[in-house]
Amino acid sequence: MTDPIKIKVADLIGSPLCISIEDGQKVYNKIELLIKEGKHISISFENVSMLVSTFLNTAIGQLYGSFTEDAIRAQLKVEGLSADDMELLKHVVDNAKKYYSNKNSYDEAWLKEDNHEE
Amino acid sequence: MIVSVDTIKSDSSGFSSIADISFKTKDAWIDSIELDFSSCSFFEANMAAPLYTVISRLRNDLNIVSVTNMRPEVSRILQKNKFLSVFNQPDITDSNQTTLPFKIFKLSAGDQFNDYLDNYMKGKGIPSMSQVLTKRFKQSLFEIFLNATIHSQSESGIFVCGQFYPKKHRIDFTIADAGVGILENVQKYLRKPGLDSCEAIEWAMIEGNTTKTGNHPGGLGLKLIKDFIQINGGKIQVVSRFGYYEFSANDESVRKMNNDFPGTCINIEINTEDKNNYYLKSELRSEDIF
Repeated sequence: MTDPIKIKVADLIGSPLCISIEDGQKVYNKIELLIKEGKHISISFENVSMLVSTFLNTAIGQLYGSFTEDAIRAQLKVEGLSADDMELLKHVVDNAKKYYSNKNSYDEAWLKEDNHEE
Repeated sequence: MIVSVDTIKSDSSGFSSIADISFKTKDAWIDSIELDFSSCSFFEANMAAPLYTVISRLRNDLNIVSVTNMRPEVSRILQKNKFLSVFNQPDITDSNQTTLPFKIFKLSAGDQFNDYLDNYMKGKGIPSMSQVLTKRFKQSLFEIFLNATIHSQSESGIFVCGQFYPKKHRIDFTIADAGVGILENVQKYLRKPGLDSCEAIEWAMIEGNTTKTGNHPGGLGLKLIKDFIQINGGKIQVVSRFGYYEFSANDESVRKMNNDFPGTCINIEINTEDKNNYYLKSELRSEDIF
């Protein structure tokens, strides 16, 4: 197997701050393209100083709406994340799997008859 | 029009008092509004952010807003945190450096918000928290800030300020906006016009729930903050329209306020003496993630 293609997130978005949905989408678009081409990818978070769930939902969580878990697991890896940011990413990935496996009924459990006025 | 401002603390009665000011001035248009502080014996610095939601609405309706009869001790607090500069009053140097000053950010100003936190949280009078605690705190503030930028539609921006209380070993940080409020977003998203503010906030606090449109998962930010607060021994308050929600390690409660707070405000209070390391016992590897 050839070396994976490295996506340096901080270089790609031009900032050490992984905070905006727009930047997350930029990263997502690159990953999507490469997964479709069957490439192996390593997403590098080196030099990233701030990472939040909003960004990761778009950049990585969204992949579970387009690809199978098997494809993602086979083609994607991450590097350069601290232990607590790995935990954050794990939350994001688990949430995304749940979201796409159960998309239509996601809110239904909470929906109930009510008719309040404030 | 003269409106009295009571003592304002960072609790439900403080938010309720601010909502009351909003209610009393809701029809003001091209008027002169005097906020009379003679009954205000104490004003907790971080509450400047929610008060500004009312002021920004008033100014948006072309009212001239002024403050009067402020006691020196109250004025000192609000000059130190630069809040009174919105009334063109001079700042006082915060010699103890325990203040994260009042500031208004545009919705697109995530980078500037980062600079602000870097500038005011490093060293100075803000206690030396462990590196991981500082990071968790900053991440939490970002989650809240970004929620406000994504959901509020606030035309006047996001209002922030914070205060360190050395004796209590606490930092309060408050992020407010004069936007549509959680209720409107959740009502539209769930297509449930009968929902009330308390129910809307409760819905928003559940992991995975988000009103963000588009084919994205979301709704993790507030859950992550709750997990952090639980371990840290801090507190989070979410106030939006008539809803007041509070969460701490010992308590989770939601109640309806008497008046309508004109936007959304989240206050997060953390225990600065927390020595938890927040790491999982076994470190996750890349292959454990996907």
